[in-house]
Amino acid sequence: MGGNKSGPQCATRAGGAASAGRWLGTARRRARATIAIVALLGTGCLEVPNDPFDPFSGGSSDGSGSTASSERAQPASNVMGDLQGVDPGPMPATMPPAKATAPADAIRFQEQASFGPTDAGTAEVMQKGPELALEEQFYKPSSVYPSLQAVFNGNACGDGAGPTCNRDNYSPYLQQVRFFRNAVHGDDQLRQRVAFALGQIIVVSNNDINRGYAISLYQQSLVNHAFGNFRDLLLEVTLSPVMGQFLDMVNNRKADPARGLEPNENYARELLQLFSIGEVMLNPDGTRQLDAQGKPVPTYDQDVVEQFAKVFTGFTYPTRPGQAQRWPNPENFGGRMVASAAEHDTGPKTLLLGRVLPAGQSPDKDVADAIDNIFSHPNVGPFIGRQLIQHLVTSNPTPAYVARVAGAFDRSPQGVRGDMKAVLRAILLDPEARGDARTTADYGKLREPVLLATGVVRGLAGSTDGVYLRAQVASAGQAVFEAGSVFNFYPPDYPVPGTTDLAGPQFKILHTDTVLRRANFLNELLFNRGGNVPPVNDYPNATGTQVNLAALQSLAATPEAMVDRLNGSIMPGTLGAADRQAIVAGINAVPATDAARRARTAAYLVATSPQYNVTR
Amino acid sequence: MHSSLDTHRRRFLLGSAALGAASALPGLGVLDAAAQAAGDYKALVCVFLYGGNDSNNTVVPIQSAEYQQYAAPRAGLAIPQGNLVPLNQGAATRFGLHPSLAPLQPVWDAGRLAVVFNVGPLMQPLTRAQYRADRAVRPSNLFSHDDQQDLWQKSSFDQDTKTGWGGRLAEQVMPLNGTAGIPTGLSLSGNDVFLTSGSGAGFALPANGTFGLQGFGNGAVEQAKYNAMQALWNNAQAGPNRLIKAAGEQMFRSATGSQTLSAVANTNNAAIQTAFTSNNANSGIAQQLQRAARIIDGRTQLGIRRQIFFVSMGGFDTHDNQVASQAGRFGELAPALKAFHDAMAALGVADAVTTFTFSDFGRTLRQNGAGTDHAWGGHHFVMGAAVRGGQTYGTFPTLTPGGPDDTDNDGRWIPTTAVDQFAATLAQWFGVAPADLARVFPNLNRFPQANLGFMA
Repeated sequence: MGGNKSGPQCATRAGGAASAGRWLGTARRRARATIAIVALLGTGCLEVPNDPFDPFSGGSSDGSGSTASSERAQPASNVMGDLQGVDPGPMPATMPPAKATAPADAIRFQEQASFGPTDAGTAEVMQKGPELALEEQFYKPSSVYPSLQAVFNGNACGDGAGPTCNRDNYSPYLQQVRFFRNAVHGDDQLRQRVAFALGQIIVVSNNDINRGYAISLYQQSLVNHAFGNFRDLLLEVTLSPVMGQFLDMVNNRKADPARGLEPNENYARELLQLFSIGEVMLNPDGTRQLDAQGKPVPTYDQDVVEQFAKVFTGFTYPTRPGQAQRWPNPENFGGRMVASAAEHDTGPKTLLLGRVLPAGQSPDKDVADAIDNIFSHPNVGPFIGRQLIQHLVTSNPTPAYVARVAGAFDRSPQGVRGDMKAVLRAILLDPEARGDARTTADYGKLREPVLLATGVVRGLAGSTDGVYLRAQVASAGQAVFEAGSVFNFYPPDYPVPGTTDLAGPQFKILHTDTVLRRANFLNELLFNRGGNVPPVNDYPNATGTQVNLAALQSLAATPEAMVDRLNGSIMPGTLGAADRQAIVAGINAVPATDAARRARTAAYLVATSPQYNVTR
Repeated sequence: MHSSLDTHRRRFLLGSAALGAASALPGLGVLDAAAQAAGDYKALVCVFLYGGNDSNNTVVPIQSAEYQQYAAPRAGLAIPQGNLVPLNQGAATRFGLHPSLAPLQPVWDAGRLAVVFNVGPLMQPLTRAQYRADRAVRPSNLFSHDDQQDLWQKSSFDQDTKTGWGGRLAEQVMPLNGTAGIPTGLSLSGNDVFLTSGSGAGFALPANGTFGLQGFGNGAVEQAKYNAMQALWNNAQAGPNRLIKAAGEQMFRSATGSQTLSAVANTNNAAIQTAFTSNNANSGIAQQLQRAARIIDGRTQLGIRRQIFFVSMGGFDTHDNQVASQAGRFGELAPALKAFHDAMAALGVADAVTTFTFSDFGRTLRQNGAGTDHAWGGHHFVMGAAVRGGQTYGTFPTLTPGGPDDTDNDGRWIPTTAVDQFAATLAQWFGVAPADLARVFPNLNRFPQANLGFMA
């Protein structure tokens, strides 16, 4: 990466919590605790970035948040503070006007743009309306992942290392826990939600990385780019050594005809297939282009993959602090990959749309040009736009909706291509996100395990340190940052079971086992634990996980009111009369004197109901 | 426990039987008479090797001239000739296994393991010249993981087909399972298209541990809670939204069906346990196969006569570090397969259970220094006492980059046996009459042989 900045400068995160516009009641309260935990965990000392989008630059010279560069055993408490979140910039003087909004739409908007509605959030969106609430989200200070000391080998946890050394250094535990804490309590709900979506489109998995500090860096870069330009994000992930390791761009070399060696095609193929344009030519509305025989038209062929594979030769790990660059550099995930011209294929390369990169370009120039080539492809808008709609709003958007979002991707009102803010406005303010389309038979999306857990905890005025939710969600089939492969937990075109024409991506991970684990999670949280999971003792400043059923209990004499309360707070009134009647009967079987059990029963039945589990 | 659950289970049984009958009615007459015999039981076990196993390093020519052809483009990646585990055929011995597959050698020697060469998705028999001249004869999205996984599991090139051939085969044999009430297709590794039928995904059980809906003991309060859930599932069925309907259906099927299966899946037969411990098989794939073995052991209790299992393991996408990682994967796979084979023998069903491997694709013969890239055809195993084993089937490719079997110049073998043929051979053994194979394998008639002869 260019211009490492090594001199640490202490900055305060406190400014982050003092932002204008409070969208989230519980989040506000938790924000203060977050600061305290950070201060206790590490130095609390953050650094001024030289690139506002680049988490690697916030940290020390090795980008790991530490100036230590040894291969000795690391102490278990290797958290050095937090990575640098992007500066969202000042809120513009002119913002959209507030517009009074019905509670159902305020709740629905939060389902799409946050990790679940809260009472405070609903009150706020009712007053401001989706447009202003969305716009304010763009200027919330970014959530952050922990900054960990780099571990440069696989056995840093030798004698004397604490019991959590392996967990903290080689698993994504600390990142997963932080993810859930931020998701439940962070003010920057939309930024995190978009980062979560991007991380399920442009996937890395710790399973092939096995370094917690690397996962922190990668996830922070997604958070930081969530409202930036998609072209910058593509370049960032392309040069990330975390992605480089995951998809083998790191240490990929030019062909060696004497030894019969060819460049590694892995990154080239998946970048095209999954991260940018997809396999078949799309119309602007996301439907497939068909040839005269009615067959889809391929976007690229094997030859193009091999040409891109040549582009992605000659990059190695960032040079470790204090070392001279060599080929290959030893493992290091801090910073961007560095180029070695001698290992780069210098021939001409014929890319997409007939674009030819001339011979003799530098590795960095080839990569930048190749990313521009991909970014300019007309598929990117509909391909990425449709998937973002699927992650945020509905699994089967109409072609017209996709076309509107792709249009925003292609050209923002300011004439910019790939402006994520324009794309997100188009997605979340579209008539199909806000209007009556939700009553059609094919509308909605299955709640994935992450959004089930965060939705329940946020909706029931809860709090979490992330520890319990991390484990429960993993058990239900979505161990965040540990997808089985670059194809994520679920593919965008997975069919709704029993249908041939409906996509239901999240149904891929809703099966006999996981559907029961979801219900059993709620049973444990609400009944076995009584809404209070105590803190563990092997995580610093653990607070456990709580939900607050007091509001429901106060209504226990009137089961109908309990159901209505849930139906109008954790979901946008989508429970129908028959569902309401069924749940009321279930509650009525509990003696009225046992208000706590009535509240638990009400929450359990609503949260396990098919209606709650499909957001629309 | 749970009078309410029991009531619901009865409804589930009726429901699934009715569903099965509806979708399988066209196939009622297709079953071989032999398949209707009393005491009849058969199971297929698909072992999917996710990522694309490098079959060039799985089954390797062992004679010097042919070995050199293999090894030349693979410096550093080729298995040393002396390390290959011979697939003994006396003087005719021509191939050896990757050394980490050594546990399978005695299964081969016992005549219970066959190798089928160069299998892959094909729209029609295909030569190199045809491949290079005409894009229309190529399966779409070759060399892509998910697309090729789909083609193996679907055995269909119709873009609108959402079912797997395991799911369609399950529908064909549904009458044999009568009112057993548990699905024919059981996955031990989540939802995959292989077992998806017209009525939805197969059952997917965890590879280990208990499963089932918790929090419903005895008592009126909990029964009322369960009744409420039942009502919610029924309401979802009645409502217009198709995603909600599917979510409710999945909850309903899972809550009820898991009760039927959990006792069997957790019953620990000592013979099965011994088979796995004596083979030192305790990996993830071993756990999946062990649970499959327990369910097979419970076949009488379940009252089921045909089952199709799906198990899988990942980690075969060896772009890098191939030597160590493939050896590691095989080091888990081979003991697990051997243990499963031993367990079936111990249960007396070795000839009733046939296990086979699938994978996304083979990998390039050429390499990048530490690994290989996505290719096409690959070699696969079929295991069981009903297999005419100790033999190879199909045509071994000419291991020459740019040669007659290569798509281009990197050693991507154009398959010489179609997935459809491989699968149809298994389906015929399973009880589908040849005349009815097209219901499961719509493209089969494009190939000269509908039965490769590796099943007794």
